[in-house]
Amino acid sequence: MAIRVNPGYIDVLDKFGAEDVQLCYQCGDCSTVCSHADDAFKFPRKSMRQLQMGLEEKLETSLEPWLCYYCGQCSEQCPREADPGETMMSLRRWLISRYDITGIASQFFNSRTKEIITVLLVAILTGVYLTFYGISGGSIHVYDGEGAFLPSSFIHAFDLTVGGIMFLFLWLGALRMWYFSMVKGISIPVPWWLYFKKLYEIPFHFVTQKRYAECENNGTSKLYMPWLVHFGLASGYSIMIVLIMVFIVPLQAGPEIRWSLHIFGYLATIGLLTGCIYFVRQRILKTKHVQFKKTHSTDWMFVILLIIITISGIVQHILHRTGYLEAANITYILHMMVVVPWLLRMPFTKWSHLVYRPMAMYFAEIQREAIARQQKLVNPLSITLK
Amino acid sequence: MRTGVFFCQVDEQWKIDIDAIAKYTLNLPEVESVQDLGILPKIDLDKLSDNIISNNLERIVVAGDLPGFFKPVFTKAMARAGGNAKEVRLASFQEHGAKNGHTLDRAKAIVACASFGVPFSLAAVPGGNPVNHATLVIGAGIAGIQASLEIANAGKQVYLVEQSGTIGGHMAMFDKTFPTLDCAACILTPKMVDVGQHEMINLMTLSKVVSVNGKPGAYRVKIKHKARRVDIDSCVACGLCVDACPVKVKSEFDAGISIRKAIYIPFPQAVPNAYLVDEANCRYVLSEGQKCAVCERKCPKDCIILDEKDSSSDIEVGNIIIATGYDLLDVSQINQYGYGKFPNVLTSLEFERLTNASGSTGGKIVCKTKQYNRKIKQDEWVFTPEGMPPRNVAIIHCVGSRNKNYNAYCSRVCCMYSLKFAHLIKEKIPNVNVYEFYIDMRAFGKGYEEFAERIKAEGTHVIRGHSADVSMDGEQMKVRGEDILNDKLVEFEVDMVVLAVGLVPSPGTEALTRMLGISRDKDGWLSELDYNGNPTDTDKGGIYVAGMCQAPKDIPDTVAQASAVAAGVLGSLTNERGIGSMSSLSLSEIEEKAKSVHTL
Repeated sequence: MAIRVNPGYIDVLDKFGAEDVQLCYQCGDCSTVCSHADDAFKFPRKSMRQLQMGLEEKLETSLEPWLCYYCGQCSEQCPREADPGETMMSLRRWLISRYDITGIASQFFNSRTKEIITVLLVAILTGVYLTFYGISGGSIHVYDGEGAFLPSSFIHAFDLTVGGIMFLFLWLGALRMWYFSMVKGISIPVPWWLYFKKLYEIPFHFVTQKRYAECENNGTSKLYMPWLVHFGLASGYSIMIVLIMVFIVPLQAGPEIRWSLHIFGYLATIGLLTGCIYFVRQRILKTKHVQFKKTHSTDWMFVILLIIITISGIVQHILHRTGYLEAANITYILHMMVVVPWLLRMPFTKWSHLVYRPMAMYFAEIQREAIARQQKLVNPLSITLK
Repeated sequence: MRTGVFFCQVDEQWKIDIDAIAKYTLNLPEVESVQDLGILPKIDLDKLSDNIISNNLERIVVAGDLPGFFKPVFTKAMARAGGNAKEVRLASFQEHGAKNGHTLDRAKAIVACASFGVPFSLAAVPGGNPVNHATLVIGAGIAGIQASLEIANAGKQVYLVEQSGTIGGHMAMFDKTFPTLDCAACILTPKMVDVGQHEMINLMTLSKVVSVNGKPGAYRVKIKHKARRVDIDSCVACGLCVDACPVKVKSEFDAGISIRKAIYIPFPQAVPNAYLVDEANCRYVLSEGQKCAVCERKCPKDCIILDEKDSSSDIEVGNIIIATGYDLLDVSQINQYGYGKFPNVLTSLEFERLTNASGSTGGKIVCKTKQYNRKIKQDEWVFTPEGMPPRNVAIIHCVGSRNKNYNAYCSRVCCMYSLKFAHLIKEKIPNVNVYEFYIDMRAFGKGYEEFAERIKAEGTHVIRGHSADVSMDGEQMKVRGEDILNDKLVEFEVDMVVLAVGLVPSPGTEALTRMLGISRDKDGWLSELDYNGNPTDTDKGGIYVAGMCQAPKDIPDTVAQASAVAAGVLGSLTNERGIGSMSSLSLSEIEEKAKSVHTL
């Protein structure tokens, strides 16, 4: 199979954050220290090489960037300071833009201004729409029930619409990912039943992020527990999304607190807050962990929006429960003005790894087994160097 | 000749004031136009040739840190303008050592010489000081030995100063030399004996240069002699004192893998062949004469003088040769290889002593065995001749070399000695597996590539891919690496790991350069005047560098450089010009000289 070489590819990736790839001299230290590299998926060195050679088509079909969780050991180890960890991160950004059919992702990754303008635009549109809806249908003095400013049934429908759009783009991306990695990128036959056999991988990795826990740096400070914090953050917004997509009506009802439901909201808020504070602290301090040294503008956008959402959500909740209904309504609109762009930009930014990572584990497991089957057919007595 | 000067820089880090040089250049006779083209200019050939025609230029001077980079364009332009292409002159700041503000005058002189059409090295000849015929050589490794012998054989006095108790340096520790697999000692020891017996060589071991005064051609040097506490002339090296001595310490000569006493001889072929007392560990010295002194009582020749005091001497020399050599990088700071943590991870020098027939195992390559040390009440890992030979050995190249975290430079000799190790292991142990992890194989010298091919043909697994991970799985050591050419991740169970550790300048280098007033490069190696044209001279007249202290190099190169230094020194003694420092030459002196050469 002939592969077209794109000599300008390395410059493309430079914009996504992979600035030092040219420095790599192929010693293989990074693959050696990586706890996720194995015989089927050898990275990061191989990806670095493919990048240097401009093998865009090869990397497009690669799952390897998704198998990396950026523990940063490779970059700490790298004798050339070529930063393989950051390269894998940049490849993930680039892959997201490849999976995305709209082209929005690549605009976001390449231009901070465009992203800010888009987010502001969506926020203003949401604000205007919600304000008009509120004024036309209800009174600002009523929060819930008859004549409410923003009735929870309407918010429910609104949330589902926004969420639906988000998930549509996410799954379109996942479909393209499947096409790239499992159709275009693999030359050996993959039996159909493997897709069913390995299906459990998706929920398993989605929930546990087990492989992230495997690559924690040993011997670093006790405060450094990326897996735990990430788990808190991820479960935080997973719970939140379930709450607002399914249980928004009871959640918004009455000034009294329904502990059976609200307790989940509180727990999720704690998770989100801790996660935000942790990541902002690490990114501002640029601690010795290499993964925090280079922060892409899209990363900041994510964290800043999330902080505004969390704080405005808390304020709105307190105002509602303490009876300041007008203020609660206004805060609610502000809250929604951030939530909507935050949710809608998800499929086009790093956050989409929520879907792509478990999918990549799933595809990788299928590929692994397919390769093993093929090897057994081709070479029944495997001879290793030893 | 109508001359046009063009400044074009390659490196923006090159901090030199181009404007000042340009102003100076405008006042030079015959210079018609001066242009500063900036950093890495894109030169338009047509415009340039038009410029040459309109200014009617007959000679072009291209000045900059690396003007050769732009020479083709200027030559073409000159040819297109119908001028003489040979009159494109280069004024290279890098080549003649004009690096910063302090060397602005030299940069001006370089441009001036080029504008006169005179090679800089012809015009800038330091000289004038009469030369003392004695020479000081600092460091008695193979470089110092070779230089001393060359000069002494020409009938001139040499003072050879060595810090340790014996001459020979690192080469004395080696087993074989690559690529010929000659016995290192067989080459070195005759030379050592020559040095010891030479009437023109004044050998001072356990000595250190403490101050240097004077000017080129007449240096006054103060040397401090540490007390040997054994009379060299009467000691017959019978060894009775060693048997009596109760103190045991690690042997420096054996790279720490064997034990010596506090009174010892570094190795049997040492020159001078006499024992010495290690002050830092001798019980008598430490207790200020209260305890022990067993050796003094046992000595049949009464040559041990434990109360001997340090002394010093002053000498006057004309030339100084620095041959201070190198040291290994401290590998325990690179923790992924487990050096110091796992017993059978060795540095290259430790392995060299292990495989050497005069080493503690008699040349048998074995793994360390656990022994109970009654004194510290702990198990210890030591080499004994009864140890088990390893079945699998990994050799890892580029440990701390070519690594921006440690040494960015290539240590130059590691590839070859690692291949040599593979051969020695294969030669001594039947059915052994040797895995060589390398990044790039640098077999650059005469017969080296053939040597590498030979080692590969011997069945060593030479793996392109660097290992960065040595781990212990129970009792079994494991080395993980990427076999890049086979596209595989590999993990081998090994019994011994040899690390090809990078080289750094020896510890006293910095103090010595400060004392002598010569410069070092960013890695700490001594700077030569010009790497291509003057690889043995330094900025200061009468001070030369030889061997590893200048940059990593192998034995043939070291010996060649040492002989070259001797030629320089002897030349300064016989020509009647005298010597001087390049840095003390003034701009007007060089200008005058250039003009006089020009008018001839």
